[in-house]
Amino acid sequence: MRQFLLPAVYLSLSLMLMVLHLEGVVVSFKAVLAYVFLPQVRVAHETTNYISGVSDTVKELLDTHRENHLLKQEMEMNRLLASQAQEVLAENERLTDMLQLSANHRWKGVWAKVAYREPTQWNTVTIDKGARDGIAVRSAVISMKQGKEGLAGVVVEVTERTAKVLLLRDEEFSAAVYLDRGKEEGLLIGAGTRPLRIQYIPLEAHVEEGDKVYTSSSSSVFPAGIWVGTVSKVRQDDSFQTALTVQVEPAVRPSSVKEVFVISEEDKQ
Amino acid sequence: MGNLIKLFLLFILATLVHWAVATVFSAVGISVNVMLSFAIAFCTVLKPSFGYPVVFLCGLFLDFFNTKLFGGNACTFTICACLLYTLADRLDFKEVATQAVTVFVLVAAASCLNSLLIWLFASAVLWAGIFGVLVGALLSACMAPVIFWTVQKTLTGGAMCKSR
Repeated sequence: MRQFLLPAVYLSLSLMLMVLHLEGVVVSFKAVLAYVFLPQVRVAHETTNYISGVSDTVKELLDTHRENHLLKQEMEMNRLLASQAQEVLAENERLTDMLQLSANHRWKGVWAKVAYREPTQWNTVTIDKGARDGIAVRSAVISMKQGKEGLAGVVVEVTERTAKVLLLRDEEFSAAVYLDRGKEEGLLIGAGTRPLRIQYIPLEAHVEEGDKVYTSSSSSVFPAGIWVGTVSKVRQDDSFQTALTVQVEPAVRPSSVKEVFVISEEDKQ
Repeated sequence: MGNLIKLFLLFILATLVHWAVATVFSAVGISVNVMLSFAIAFCTVLKPSFGYPVVFLCGLFLDFFNTKLFGGNACTFTICACLLYTLADRLDFKEVATQAVTVFVLVAAASCLNSLLIWLFASAVLWAGIFGVLVGALLSACMAPVIFWTVQKTLTGGAMCKSR
């Protein structure tokens, strides 16, 4: 029975407190004690806020990490797009040059793109137009360099949708040409990796470096007046030689040919 | 004297944890009672002559911030202490399961009793709902082992504590 004495005392005390009206002295007493404990309550609140702030910060960090990952991917994509845009711009520049040619030149034919280049035979390219576009074997092929057209090669094989072009540096390539200065005619022949050369130019002909070379009207394949290149060297080494050896720098470098204009056989002048 | 200081520090810790936890869970309508968990833990360590006043003060601390009824929590806490001291010989409070179950039952019962006292003495309704009461009791039970461990490790020996 003694063991319930102590709780009975505290229960009685709490009952007395409960029956008190919450006004006057009781309210003041409560307020004073609440004020005493207020710092603890404030510390608890601040701790809670700080902890919830930490979780927010962690969440923000995770979000930032994810965002960073996405932005990196976006940057990679932008770099790719930028390089593609650069390629498109270069193509646009080339096509603009060609449009100028279309407006000015006196030949009829079709534009084509280089679709395939033999990895082992850089002297030939395959273009994306063929017989159905009016291309025939022995059609002359020109390309552009800095807004001016230059001889690129000749069509040697044709299928329905494609054609193979023999570029002018090939050893099998030849074309009748003339030199701009003295109108001397000769035969331009490809020499593989070595420079192009013109044969059969008389020894007495006045030829200088920088002279321009054009296709001749005597050619059975090429229309007359297509710019072929510029004389880069004139040799007269051997005393028994009957003709000059003229080296030519091509107007269109075969390795840089990307778009070409194929002149139709019937419109050749 | 040493235990008295430790007891005071534990009381301060209890008030801090109680308000911090209450701040978080009251926003979602869950009635977690960390202070009662501490009071129960005190009863398992302190002799009744020290346990009752400490538990009474713990309850009274909550009453300082109660706007409806003054003394309700003190009464509820005292009843819980009385139950604990009565059953103390039959329960082993070193077992985690016993600690958790005791806290769960007493926190749920205290919530109900407190609401009843407010209704009786203040003619007001302060009820967290059965979900809020049970989840609050469950959360209090989950925290109980840590609270018991802290109290039992801090308060050892001396005239205030029970002989082990």
